Amino acid sequence: MSTEENGSGTRYKHGQRTTGSIQWLFQAASGVFIIFFLAVHLYVAHINGGSPIELFDTVVGNLRNPWWLAFFLAFLWIVTYHGLNGVKGVIYEMGITAKTRKLVSWGIIALFTVSVIYGTLLSLVVAQMTIP
Amino acid sequence: MVSENYEFVIKRKTEHGVSRQDRFLVPKKKISTVLEGLVYISENLDGTLSFRHSCRMEICGSCSMEINGKPKMACSTIAGSLGTGTIKVSPLPHYEVIKDLVVDIEPFFDKYRAVKPYVIRNNEDKPSSELLQTPEQFKLYEQYSMCIKCGLCLAACPISGSDEDYLGPAALAAALRFNLDSRDGGSGIRLEITDTDEGIARCHYAGECSEVCPKDVDPSKAIQLLRRAAISHELKKVFRRGAKGGK
Amino acid sequence: MGSNSGVIGWGNFFHKGIGYFAYTMHRISGIVIVLYLYLHFFVLSNLLKGGATFNSLITSFTYGPFDIFIVMDILLTLVIFYHGANGIRLMLNEFGLGLKHHKVMFYVLESAAMAVMLLFLYFAWQVLVSGGGV
Repeated sequence: MSTEENGSGTRYKHGQRTTGSIQWLFQAASGVFIIFFLAVHLYVAHINGGSPIELFDTVVGNLRNPWWLAFFLAFLWIVTYHGLNGVKGVIYEMGITAKTRKLVSWGIIALFTVSVIYGTLLSLVVAQMTIP
Repeated sequence: MVSENYEFVIKRKTEHGVSRQDRFLVPKKKISTVLEGLVYISENLDGTLSFRHSCRMEICGSCSMEINGKPKMACSTIAGSLGTGTIKVSPLPHYEVIKDLVVDIEPFFDKYRAVKPYVIRNNEDKPSSELLQTPEQFKLYEQYSMCIKCGLCLAACPISGSDEDYLGPAALAAALRFNLDSRDGGSGIRLEITDTDEGIARCHYAGECSEVCPKDVDPSKAIQLLRRAAISHELKKVFRRGAKGGK
Repeated sequence: MGSNSGVIGWGNFFHKGIGYFAYTMHRISGIVIVLYLYLHFFVLSNLLKGGATFNSLITSFTYGPFDIFIVMDILLTLVIFYHGANGIRLMLNEFGLGLKHHKVMFYVLESAAMAVMLLFLYFAWQVLVSGGGV
């Protein structure tokens, strides 16, 4: 959107119209979820498990429980979204052109899709593995 | 023994783009503010030193420069309060240097103009009388209307330092100032202008603009309030569209 | 533009307000956490290689020979708790809440997060020591 026609005489070229504020809302909301997820995850993995590390049996056992599987899948999707959206913001602010921004945006979307699909498949496959 | 002089270390650049550093000794008795020191230098020591100044009382916003590493107004910076005998003066960062301490402030004003910093009336008719406002309505935006366009906030903002198209604190604060004005009807337009990927989305509340603002406009606060308004504006749009689609 | 401080300027939080420090650290910690996220994906991918390989791999991170990773883990905890606490502040502040007290909020939330972190590290360490040997 150019402002030259309104006679205010600015040479400023406006940025891309986005749903920026709604994106911020998603970032904040996902942040709240992550605090909850991470609290549960850290407690279960490092304190309540009785063992400082989650060994193969525990991980597979957990993932066989559909509730835990749903928990980890939601965690995976939300944390990847939050992280990659944050990285996108950082790259956006490095003073790159609008064209590069579009490339970065698509790159981030592609990386997100690949990561989420890989993570989901990994969880589903591991849930089917036999405990020795 | 306490030195009788301030040592001014000035980062200069000729109009041909050659950079150098000059040192001047200015007697402490002769000056109180940094701006007076610069005036003393140009009158007595080196007439070629270029810098902008006008009102000497933090109203015109001309003498913005970096003093001892901080963006400041030279007129309101007391030399004695800096705590050092050496006063390092350099041009305002994040702007193109034209000569010595004079920077090209035009991008700042372009961004400022871009948010339509004037009262937008909904009806085209000329009002029959002046537009009245109660003191309470004035109080709503008074703080944000104190901006003197000195450009210090843009020099302090880390995002403006890396992303030169970012609208910047002053322009966004001006957008809020006119959105809060009871006479104004253009808040929707301004929210659309500022809610871009070069607008409020780029602010991450480092708050340095508010730290350096000589008039306590608190631009960082203004941007966050603008963000809230933009979110409700966007959500309203979504729901209105949803209601229309439902019918 | 040549006069711009660029990305390097983000790190220059010296002699500036606490908000600038919080901003810089939020950025760095966020990037560190994303890098860890992908490291985590990588480590968990070893689950596919079967129980014995996975167990020997992650045990080596905790009980040696690569137990130096515990130091990294503690640093990661610090980074995560910092990012979380500052994230709560930013969420409230950037929505226009508590703007008057944003500096106090930073100190209070960070201290609270650090206290919870120490508590967590204490209990996790107890488990590490007592649950030992695997």
